Amino acid sequence: MGKVARQVVEQAGIDVNVLVDKLVRAAAAEFTTFYYYTILRVNSIGFDGEGLKEIIEDARIEDRNHYEALVPRIYELGGALPRDIRTFADMAACPDAYLPADPRDMKAMLNVLVEAERCAIRVYTDICNMTAGKDHRTYELSLAILNEEVEHESWFSEYLGEGPSGHFRRGAPGASPYVRRFMTADIG
Amino acid sequence: MAFVKAGRAEEVPPGYTKLVRLAGRPVLLANWGGRVFAVGGVCPHQGKLLEGATVWDHVVDCPWHHFQFDVRTGQNLYPRNVYPRDLPHLEAQVRPLETYPVRVAEGEIWVDLG
Repeated sequence: MGKVARQVVEQAGIDVNVLVDKLVRAAAAEFTTFYYYTILRVNSIGFDGEGLKEIIEDARIEDRNHYEALVPRIYELGGALPRDIRTFADMAACPDAYLPADPRDMKAMLNVLVEAERCAIRVYTDICNMTAGKDHRTYELSLAILNEEVEHESWFSEYLGEGPSGHFRRGAPGASPYVRRFMTADIG
Repeated sequence: MAFVKAGRAEEVPPGYTKLVRLAGRPVLLANWGGRVFAVGGVCPHQGKLLEGATVWDHVVDCPWHHFQFDVRTGQNLYPRNVYPRDLPHLEAQVRPLETYPVRVAEGEIWVDLG
């Protein structure tokens, strides 16, 4: 734990235990989404060539990056990941992104993906709102993740015919243009 | 059961929710567009209280896992819309919330628990 790192956040008026709980839930959602997106990605066969598979892969790897970036902040603030991964999975801030009953149904697949990203946007907007002007490090991290979640939503939304995303997919899979500066381990 | 007093109207301004206990039962009051709705105050997903839930466009968003419900009908909107039907054990998570008739009179909110 960073003693002063936690203290200054408390002094700014934030209930650090509540914040840490939100960060652990967010990390759990990223971890479980990484798992479910793996299943969605391997099943997205032949949709628009394999274009959708590549986009799911970007989102999948970036969600793993978000998990990796969140964990140090949790421990800096005196928090910890649950010892039991089942507890961790049940804490996830967003519902599980299950493979649709018919894996050949591209629209059903896209709905799972876009709803998962929309949930993530709600999660990080909440953390940004809580930390803005008070916990600068958590705010910057959450804002960086939020930027990527917003792009993920727009990619899948575009596929659903909801209008142009205004973005292009990554040059390298899961490049995390916003979050990579928070990655203290190699992201490949 | 007749209508019971749930609070003052100014305690639930438009765009806000408030969890109250009525006859020992948690009830979530939600004001959208100036109309107050009352739904069951426990999310069926993990049985957690909906205290701190947000409301937007008639949709209540659970603060724990972001399950979403229509305050007019109590129906789960998300993740019911993406949960696969071939996993029936998930159905219990997305049960609807109870809905209760609401009356606002002379600045007071009254809820009929049925």
